[in-house]
Amino acid sequence: MDHRQQVRQFVLKNFLFTDDANALADGDSLIGNGIVDSTGILELIGFLEETHGIRIAPEEMVPANFDSIDAISAFLARRLAA
Amino acid sequence: MIALADRVAAIALSEPRRIALVQGAQRIDYGTFVDAARRFAGFLRAAGCRPGDRVALIVPNRIEAAIAWYGAWIAGAAVVPLNAQARARDFAPWLRHADVRVLVHEAAGRDAIAAAAELSEPPLRVVLDAAAGEGANGDGAVGWTQALESAPLESEPVDPSALAAILYTSGTTGAPKGVMLSHANFAANVEAIVAYLALTGEDSIVSILPFYYSYGASVLHTHLAVGARLVIEPNLVFPHLIVETLARERVSGFSGVPSTYALLLDRVPLANYDLGALRYLTQAGGAMAPALAARLRAALPGTALYVMYGQTEATARLTYLPPDRLDDKPGSAGIAIPGVRIAIRDEAGQPLPPGADGEVWAQGPGVMRGYWNDPEASAAVLQDGWLRTGDLGRLDADGFLFLAGRRSDMIKTGAHRVHPLDVEEAIAELAEVAEVAVVGVDDATLGQAIKAVIVPAAGAAPDADRVKAHCRARLAAYKIPKQVQFVAALPKTASGKIRRALLTEPAAAQEAS
Repeated sequence: MDHRQQVRQFVLKNFLFTDDANALADGDSLIGNGIVDSTGILELIGFLEETHGIRIAPEEMVPANFDSIDAISAFLARRLAA
Repeated sequence: MIALADRVAAIALSEPRRIALVQGAQRIDYGTFVDAARRFAGFLRAAGCRPGDRVALIVPNRIEAAIAWYGAWIAGAAVVPLNAQARARDFAPWLRHADVRVLVHEAAGRDAIAAAAELSEPPLRVVLDAAAGEGANGDGAVGWTQALESAPLESEPVDPSALAAILYTSGTTGAPKGVMLSHANFAANVEAIVAYLALTGEDSIVSILPFYYSYGASVLHTHLAVGARLVIEPNLVFPHLIVETLARERVSGFSGVPSTYALLLDRVPLANYDLGALRYLTQAGGAMAPALAARLRAALPGTALYVMYGQTEATARLTYLPPDRLDDKPGSAGIAIPGVRIAIRDEAGQPLPPGADGEVWAQGPGVMRGYWNDPEASAAVLQDGWLRTGDLGRLDADGFLFLAGRRSDMIKTGAHRVHPLDVEEAIAELAEVAEVAVVGVDDATLGQAIKAVIVPAAGAAPDADRVKAHCRARLAAYKIPKQVQFVAALPKTASGKIRRALLTEPAAAQEAS
């Protein structure tokens, strides 16, 4: 499974409580739509750190990196390539 | 009384270049702000919106929300700021109940559009972020930019007793409760808060509290009334970004609920930031544990912490604890703000002596006119010129208020108030649910978290995810239960009333969250 699919499934299962892939588009705002809140973001970051063995620094915790499946995928791709 | 719109207009006249609102890279000065508000007022008047008509806002905190609010006031309309996180299921009953004439919403606000379409007489929609030309195609909607091309409406004399706003408190879909506030209510409450916080035009504040809640509205109005600068931040998802803004903008104030401060203290090394300009913090929206207050003061020793208490039914504020009394009155909600009287009374409404626990009653110029179109509910809380708050507490010998919970089952989670029945109604829509009770359970960060206890229908095997997914579709995100527990039966009294207190205890082995 690629990174995008993995993140998608995590968000669907943990924040939307569904397996329905149509419930969320990759470009949808996770924060603007109330899908990820101040506690959800910690779960999401914990999942990414654990799955990929990375440490996400405070300065990386910005909406540009986490506001959509697209943004998270792009962030992961950059971090894992580094 | 000087109406708030007139106070802000006076600042625009004397200091038009003073910055009123900041949002990201956008900065709008008082001159531009009032001009935009007058243009929106001109649009409303030209669209047939008469004084007293209701203008609803389904808009998260952003500059346009404040412009629309003051524009509606200039046009003599009553503002109905609706909880932008709610869903169509809530919006339709509110819009219908308030008989809304104009609705301002974002282009992405699908629930707002759906709710408006459900009404037999749909309101005129004004759409923020509309694509160019949107609204010109006959669907009746008007783009915000287009609306602001209207000729400005000059301020007209304001009747102090006229309806200024209807704020819907968390209620159930069947019986929306709209708090009616007059211009005099707002003017008086703002004046009292400005006095005890000693706010001036030199102040500035970062605001994360929604304008559609009374606390967030009072932060907006108090700061605009004195010519201060309000910096809008969208949410607390990235707490360090809030602190960066506090430092970068060198603001003098910040307002939050207890969970806001718990998040900031837990996640952000405050000592790493220069917060030397921060003069005051305010806290309302539920009791702050003395231990949390102590941590906050230790982290920001040069900043005054104002613990406050109030109610939407009293415009916003009823009491505050002077910061220099935090040490000798720990846990207190403080003394009545200027112009307000607080009393403790028994079930029969008889005054109780200092030290005795009873219901908190309040009297003062901020107390609402009543609930919109609901004389029965109004009469239940407005008695002999006093407001029954439904909160329990006592006054000490020095007149300091100590709160001890609520008579009702209202859940306070983060900055939100949630009526259990509202969530119960949504969950009961599921065929596999026979009975459900929703309660608040202790949560280290949120204060309370929402827990649903469900008795499955005969032969059904509901799962927690399906319940949560249904709630996500039907309710604001903050109302989705964090815990779902399935039980064979709910504990009840002999008369069949659910014994909620028993359900708030830590979940048993059958927990399935």
